[in-house]
Amino acid sequence: MEYNKEKKEIILNKKISELDKLVLDFINILKNHADYVIISGYVSIILGRARATEDIDLFIKKIDKNKFLKLYEDLIKNSYWCLNSDSPEEIYDYLIDNLAVRFAKKDETIPNFEVKFPKTKIDEETFKDCIAVKMPEGSIKISSLEIQIAFKKYYLKSDKDLEDAKHIEHIFKDKIDIEKVYKYKGILEKR
Amino acid sequence: MKKLIPKKDNKEDRMNFVEYWAEYVKTHSDGEWSRQQNILIDSQIQNARSLQLSRKDYIKLKSRC
Repeated sequence: MEYNKEKKEIILNKKISELDKLVLDFINILKNHADYVIISGYVSIILGRARATEDIDLFIKKIDKNKFLKLYEDLIKNSYWCLNSDSPEEIYDYLIDNLAVRFAKKDETIPNFEVKFPKTKIDEETFKDCIAVKMPEGSIKISSLEIQIAFKKYYLKSDKDLEDAKHIEHIFKDKIDIEKVYKYKGILEKR
Repeated sequence: MKKLIPKKDNKEDRMNFVEYWAEYVKTHSDGEWSRQQNILIDSQIQNARSLQLSRKDYIKLKSRC
């Protein structure tokens, strides 16, 4: 795994898992309709953490209803369904109300993609401060290591989150911008 | 790699292993660590598929969390 901080990219030559395949499949559809960034648990997993997950959290940039309807149509065409509703209008309303909606492969529930619009300044910041993870099978965008650590270590703080943060801190020890972590910590503490 | 020294407290021991595994990831090829990681991840997906939890039940479960 090679992290190029300047280029904001990680080159990863891992053997991809069933979960990675699913993520690449979903992202390949999503990226044609909206900007996105993957956050939280899957970020640690793609970077090697030894754990599984039932959901992949991601932000999509706010899009208008027509664009969302096209995204929904594309997901349905590619054998996904929404766990919250079969009405795309209702799903869009959930997103506008800052609620997360979940998509999974048709007739499956786990793993699923928990999709939401950014609602705070720091959520918006993840789009600017993100990293491309490049694998031979495709690329995905994840939140920066600093946002990830700050969120997990100083905001979420469950055992699992602290372990996720520790994993990233250990792997990228010399490349993490500690000042940036503290900057995000400060923002999160004001929430 | 240094040997893993057991800790008395479960939480401490878990964190100890997280660091041990992170060191393993750092010092081994992507192909090697991911081969082991995939055993864990792929088995969870197979279990989930065999469980066939309905979307209604899953949403109900999540809303209780």
